[in-house]
Amino acid sequence: MTQESAKVQKSKVKSQKSIPPYPTLIILAILAVLPLTGLSSYMMHIFILVIMWAVIGMAWNLLGGYCGQVSFGHAAYFGVGAYTAGILYSKLGLSPWWGIPLSIIVVALFSFVLGFIVLRLRGPFFALATLASGEVMRVTAENLQPLTGGTLGILVQERTWIVKTWYYYVILAIAAGTFFLVKKLIESKLGYYFVAIREDQDAAESLGINTTLYKTLALCISGVLTGIAGAFYTNYMGYIDPHVAFALHDISIITIMIVMVGGVATFWGPFAGAVIMVLLAEYIRSMPGLGAAHQTLFGILLIVIIIFLPNGIVGDFPKLKRLLGLRSASQ
Amino acid sequence: MTPVQLEVFLQTLIAGLLLGGLYALIGLGMTLIMGVMKIINLAHGELMMVAMYIAYWMFVLFHIDPYLSVFIATPVLFLLGAAIQKFLINPMLKVESILPENQVILTVGIGMVLANLATLFFKSDYRSTPVDYATSAFYLSDFWKASPIELSLSLPWAVSFIFAVGITIALWFFLARTDTGKSIRATAQDTDAALLMGVNVKMMRVVTFGIGSGLVGAAGCLFLPIYYLFPSLGGQFTLIAFVITILGGLGSTVGAIIGGLILGVFESMTATYIGMGWAPVGRFVVFVACLIFLPGGVASLLKKKRFGK
Amino acid sequence: MKRLSFVILLFFIACLFAVDVFAAENLELSIPLPLTGAQAKFGEMEKKSYEIAAEEINAKGGIKGRKVVLTFEDSQGKPEISRSIVEKLIDVKKQPVIIGEYSSSSSKAVAAVANERKVPYLVVTGADDSITQQNYKYVFRMNPSNAYYATGLVSFLKEVVKPQSIAILYESSDFGTSGADDMAKQAEKIGMKVLVKEKYEKGAVDFKPILTKVKAERPDMIYMVSYVMDASLLMKQIKELRVDAKLFAGGAAGFAIPEFVDNAKDAAEYVVTATLWCTMAKYPGASEFAEKYKKLYGDYPSYHGAEAYSALYITKDVLERAKSMGPEDIREAMKATNIMTAFGPVKFEDKEGYQNQNFMDTLVLQVINGKHHCIWPEKYASKKYIYPIPVWRERK
Repeated sequence: MTQESAKVQKSKVKSQKSIPPYPTLIILAILAVLPLTGLSSYMMHIFILVIMWAVIGMAWNLLGGYCGQVSFGHAAYFGVGAYTAGILYSKLGLSPWWGIPLSIIVVALFSFVLGFIVLRLRGPFFALATLASGEVMRVTAENLQPLTGGTLGILVQERTWIVKTWYYYVILAIAAGTFFLVKKLIESKLGYYFVAIREDQDAAESLGINTTLYKTLALCISGVLTGIAGAFYTNYMGYIDPHVAFALHDISIITIMIVMVGGVATFWGPFAGAVIMVLLAEYIRSMPGLGAAHQTLFGILLIVIIIFLPNGIVGDFPKLKRLLGLRSASQ
Repeated sequence: MTPVQLEVFLQTLIAGLLLGGLYALIGLGMTLIMGVMKIINLAHGELMMVAMYIAYWMFVLFHIDPYLSVFIATPVLFLLGAAIQKFLINPMLKVESILPENQVILTVGIGMVLANLATLFFKSDYRSTPVDYATSAFYLSDFWKASPIELSLSLPWAVSFIFAVGITIALWFFLARTDTGKSIRATAQDTDAALLMGVNVKMMRVVTFGIGSGLVGAAGCLFLPIYYLFPSLGGQFTLIAFVITILGGLGSTVGAIIGGLILGVFESMTATYIGMGWAPVGRFVVFVACLIFLPGGVASLLKKKRFGK
Repeated sequence: MKRLSFVILLFFIACLFAVDVFAAENLELSIPLPLTGAQAKFGEMEKKSYEIAAEEINAKGGIKGRKVVLTFEDSQGKPEISRSIVEKLIDVKKQPVIIGEYSSSSSKAVAAVANERKVPYLVVTGADDSITQQNYKYVFRMNPSNAYYATGLVSFLKEVVKPQSIAILYESSDFGTSGADDMAKQAEKIGMKVLVKEKYEKGAVDFKPILTKVKAERPDMIYMVSYVMDASLLMKQIKELRVDAKLFAGGAAGFAIPEFVDNAKDAAEYVVTATLWCTMAKYPGASEFAEKYKKLYGDYPSYHGAEAYSALYITKDVLERAKSMGPEDIREAMKATNIMTAFGPVKFEDKEGYQNQNFMDTLVLQVINGKHHCIWPEKYASKKYIYPIPVWRERK
């Protein structure tokens, strides 16, 4: 493929010209003061979901966008994280908040083992194997009734806070941490290794890059970050069951959509994608008359974005700007 | 083995083989598409759902038996599939993107649109075609009065199975004997070489997606008399199709059949001897094991040749 | 990048203003229901039933003179979305009382929010036992919990069938699991042996392997907890394999709705099922509602419809008795509810570990000549039960 080299060039330029920290800080500052503006609890809920999805999106982006290992099974990590928190609560009587630190260890081990199996595969085969792993975890959680409560799920009797503000700051802190971690990783030598593996694994191997090591590393970090989001979900929603925590469509696929729509291999892509996916879904869904058709509209939007903005809103932002600019000029 | 145990075993085996035959037909469509284009089609099950609705409405409005609808739904699905490839997937393949997996998300989008449109038009009611022969069956004791065990063979399941076998044989002939079939196989084996040999690869892709959709459409018609229908039924069949595709080997017709039969028997045996709740786990364990230890699927054993690197 | 963040910000702001504010002349009630996705069938049925009730109430002058205007929000059966909807209802629409939802998992999500925010919530269909066992002060449930679904059936077993052994098949959802667990407990209490207890993944194509296993065990009765199409597939395949038992019984849900008979056809004959309600139930307004629904939509509603229909009447009753439209007053009025509805008597009690739970008799239906008839308890029966049932070989 001839486009390959151009792509390498492009992505290199992208990561070299690292974004100056100001916009990042400004956005973070805006997000930090947001709860002080007296938003309704409903809006806070939506923002919490947006940020949670952004975390999962950034985690996926590390593995899929930068390292090129497109996973269709991020629900597995999300679910394991969520169940770590849930089982701590239901079996050991601990606060589900312990799930967040503990899920780092549990999910890291889990991703390591899973990575050992699935990372031998490439491209579509890797995608399918991860897809299967998510489903296997779901059915396993259903059948391990003594531990997981089976399909009855785990219900956290009393959530820590009624006000959303603190949940918001917790997930914002997780998101900020994830953002800077991903940024640091990608801008380090590791990031170049990841991109090299994405562009041509055999070439990377021949250049002396230990692809297995770096792929496993990317998978573990990505899995752990997703798992933390899962543990947060248990705390925040207070209820999980296998269909919710290991959902193929509602988690694995939505995650990919968020990143693809926002922009693969961009720092802000997952965030933009999460904003669009969550807010737009919520908005269209509650519009009278259109509500029933929201999945159709969403599907069409997705198709349009993929065909016309294949690198997502952020990745193709210049193109988008040009398109919008043209339209206003002709009017 | 006591007669009762034997009866359980044989009945399970029959059920597994019948189910496997139908699974194979679902898998055939996907194996063709994945073999030729290396495309993961997550809208596969939704295409089947569309065919089932066609067969359903043919039955309700014109009293056409679902089995005859095979001849109506298959061409319609062929056109639908070809259109999807021509107007959506081909243009997308041209645009430059970082990850080739964009196309998977495209098929997800298509699937979403199809499923939601079905909900809008037909409501989310569960439907089925109450054909008269739905619960007819042959019993061993009817043929052999003194039989120590009782076995049964469902009429619609048997008919669906025979249809599936017929369609598979027809497809095999098409791929092996006709020029178009040969071109498709050439495209699957080496796209660049096929292009050099004067095969219209783009056209072949359109035809292949059409045939793949037509096959799953036929499968939908065959499933209707024994199963039921609602708009969001697609997902589970997409997954089954993947498992069969990988089990059989990409692009291999014979592989898909064997893969389907293995999966059907395996699931039935799991259900009887381990527990029906675990059957899906078994399905995916086989799948992942096959991906790792037998990456070419059954086909690689048959031909000692590896597809789909 | 700056421009992008600006765009994102604009988006946020646009969404803040997106939700309209309206005058309070009408009584607006938004009801979360699964209107798309796998559970949409029941969501639709409940939606239609709510609408019938609203129309009747408005024809008689509304609630306290205010016209009831219903809107429905699609939760897709996902707890996360149900929660979004309820947060919005409480915050933005300032709705003083929440009714609705269908599945247990969504109801749990709604109940947790409602209780935290101190807004009364009337659970209409969610049957999982735990919903009203959480010491939630603001959560009320009008339908019996899962553990009580089969009480009517169990008394029928004790007095008529007297089986010695049972096989239980159930779908792997919280409804199926808790229904099966409760049946297993009850069965052991009345001295029945549980020979097989197996779950299956909803949407399974082929039940023959598991049924073959059941057949080999020769249980006296087979009890199944399934949704509609699984229920008819199960019976069809039972007929096909000629699995004989003294009784085939269903645990409400799929077995109790007309589609079951339409799809399973003659395989459905003589099957009994636990249910919470039936169209000829001797409750005031029950058959009128059923006939009206049938006239409008061409089919009889199942107990889900009656629950939704009655839920709105309960809401009307509660709001009329409440001292004000404040959630606290509504909660008090709700607690004091004691009315007869088309669904049956409704009274919220704290007992046996439940809070604010309505306890009521559950019924048993049997399919006789291709129609559901109420056969148990005898005081509600519309037809005499048929027992023993013929074996498959001798049918037709």
